[in-house]
Amino acid sequence: MKRVLLFVMLALLVMSGLVFGENLQRYEDVEGTVNLKFYYVVGVAGALATVIDGMVDEFNRSHAKIEVEPVYCGNYNDTMTKVQTAVLSGNPPDVFVVEISELYTLLGIDGIIPLDKYIEMDGGVEFTGQYFSALYDNARADGQIWGQPFQRSTPILYWNKDLFAKHAKELESQGLDPTRAPRTWFELEKYAEILTEREGSKTNVWGCILPGGWNDWIFESFVYQNGGMLISADAETSGFGSLEVLQALTFWHKLTNELKVSPPLRPWNQTPLDFAGGHAAMMYYSTGGLPLIRAQANFDFAVAFQPMQIQYGVPVGGGDFHISKDIPPENQDAAWEFIKFMTSPEMAAQWSRESGYICINKLGLDLPEMKSYLEEYPNASLAAQQLTYSYSKIMAPNFQEIRKLFVVNLDAMMQGLQSPQETQERLHVGVQLILDEY
Amino acid sequence: MFIRKTDAGNWIRYSILVVTSLIMLFPFYLMIIMAFKDPKSILAGGYLAPSLEPTVSNFVRVFEAASFLTYLENTVLVVTGILLLQLLLIIPAAYVFARLKFRGSGLLFIVYVIQIMLPLEALILPNYRIMNSFGLINTRIAMILPFVGSGYCAFLLRQAFRQVPQSLEDSAIIDGCGHLRFIWSVLLPLSKPTLIVFSLISVATHWNDYLWPLIVTDSNRVRTLTIGLGMFVQHESGADWGMLMAATLFISLPLILLFVVLQRRFIESFLTSGLKG
Repeated sequence: MKRVLLFVMLALLVMSGLVFGENLQRYEDVEGTVNLKFYYVVGVAGALATVIDGMVDEFNRSHAKIEVEPVYCGNYNDTMTKVQTAVLSGNPPDVFVVEISELYTLLGIDGIIPLDKYIEMDGGVEFTGQYFSALYDNARADGQIWGQPFQRSTPILYWNKDLFAKHAKELESQGLDPTRAPRTWFELEKYAEILTEREGSKTNVWGCILPGGWNDWIFESFVYQNGGMLISADAETSGFGSLEVLQALTFWHKLTNELKVSPPLRPWNQTPLDFAGGHAAMMYYSTGGLPLIRAQANFDFAVAFQPMQIQYGVPVGGGDFHISKDIPPENQDAAWEFIKFMTSPEMAAQWSRESGYICINKLGLDLPEMKSYLEEYPNASLAAQQLTYSYSKIMAPNFQEIRKLFVVNLDAMMQGLQSPQETQERLHVGVQLILDEY
Repeated sequence: MFIRKTDAGNWIRYSILVVTSLIMLFPFYLMIIMAFKDPKSILAGGYLAPSLEPTVSNFVRVFEAASFLTYLENTVLVVTGILLLQLLLIIPAAYVFARLKFRGSGLLFIVYVIQIMLPLEALILPNYRIMNSFGLINTRIAMILPFVGSGYCAFLLRQAFRQVPQSLEDSAIIDGCGHLRFIWSVLLPLSKPTLIVFSLISVATHWNDYLWPLIVTDSNRVRTLTIGLGMFVQHESGADWGMLMAATLFISLPLILLFVVLQRRFIESFLTSGLKG
């Protein structure tokens, strides 16, 4: 009996220890200080959580009346789950970053406020003019601006200069310049064919990797380059049925299944490692991969605009800041102060250097430390230049469903399980159904 | 172990065992060698061979990037908290379901264990709301409470308790045992294998919980190891394998050690239980 008691006591002890422990550690509110919870997502490699924590610390040091607590929330999907759960349970974070395509879902749960009044107060167009204007396209709905760009990227073409030089003769014999990346789809195909190195049935070096995982995002580029669009701006009509989409699908099918210059489905995470390891001459990848490649590749590489068909084109990607609706007005005001700080020229430039994301604030590019950085790594500025040709990423209510359908069908086609025509048919019908449902 | 070398059956048996063990051990081998490799040499090829110049730089970077010792402390607290409360609650419950007859006991049991069918993801929102209404968001208790009434544990223990013969209960009652004394002195010793199996499963499961702790906690001071590990598994760009493996090694080591230490008792308990049946 004594041992029973002992066991019960032990359990109670642990429990009460926990309870008291929690109480002792609760934050003490300092009079007059606004405490903000900031949910952030980490979407790129390296210890970016530490970078964010450092930036937040700097904000807290320079703003006596506001105390921001940064909360790491995992990847884009986990972060969205956490934000949704918290908002729906009446315990929203004050300010958060989620993936840009989630805007309609955020509006659907009535979780965020428009930022127009703050932007107006800070100079309106003068304020937004600091930023690359293409970045606001995904923050707009119902004539208002709901988000402030933060960690933004575009897919870009990476190429291995050493491998290009290795095949210089063959490239030149085809009239291709080995010192630059392909500029058109036609050239891309030719370069990729020559650069692929095979040994029997084994491919040692892939010509150009079209990665899986976020292949929907990469594919979107190809549709823009071909002059098409995937979903109408009012999010009502699917554009998947067009000839432009079919041509893009056919081109992908050719690269992966006929010419076999791209592996059928390379995991997103693995692709930069293949490239950094010299197993791919080119890859389509987020600009967010730059720091990792820079750190791990022991060869000369560069990035280039994605090759065009009839025009250059690329969708933007990444995450924006949002301010929650059901929080006190003073918290919303403080959250705006915080957002302004995080997207100021200095912070945007620092964030870009450490993460590989675009320096969203144009004024940040003129800072001396950024200038010397861009001189050292000219690759980093190319991503910003490509923004001239950028489009907003597709947005729609129930975006997660559309994305799932999109990825599943692209995967099947890349693996050779269905033809481009079947893929187009399934996507067009499926996407229209999801859009009609809303 | 090679006494009867001529016995072909033994050879086959051992080779199957050796091959299976190698397959099982291979991921651990990769994890360990990659954790000690310099990030550039991981990609350089020959990734199956251990590094000739082992480095602890990955571990240094991991510990710089996140407060893993706090995470470890929290994980241990949460996991033991869950296990102790589970045992405290479920042992009496399983006893009632197994040995006491009352109207509706069967139905009640079914309702109770139905929770095994519900995936955690479906319960995130209701659980979060309950924790929120108790003011427990961002506490270690919130990571413990949803799991203490484990239906799985109730099911396992009930089955184990039912196997104890009625005659043992009768003689215990004649000797003057009450409910609690009977549970403690008769049922639990006889159900040791089940208790150990369940404890291991519970500890391993909750040691590896990710989504719920991520959602219900905000601050580093209450967060657990898996969340720390999550910081190194990346989506928009490639993973830093050296750091990832160093962190994984640190996180899984306590569990592996626990299992190695308990292994003998774990297997013994199965053997002796056979004799008692």
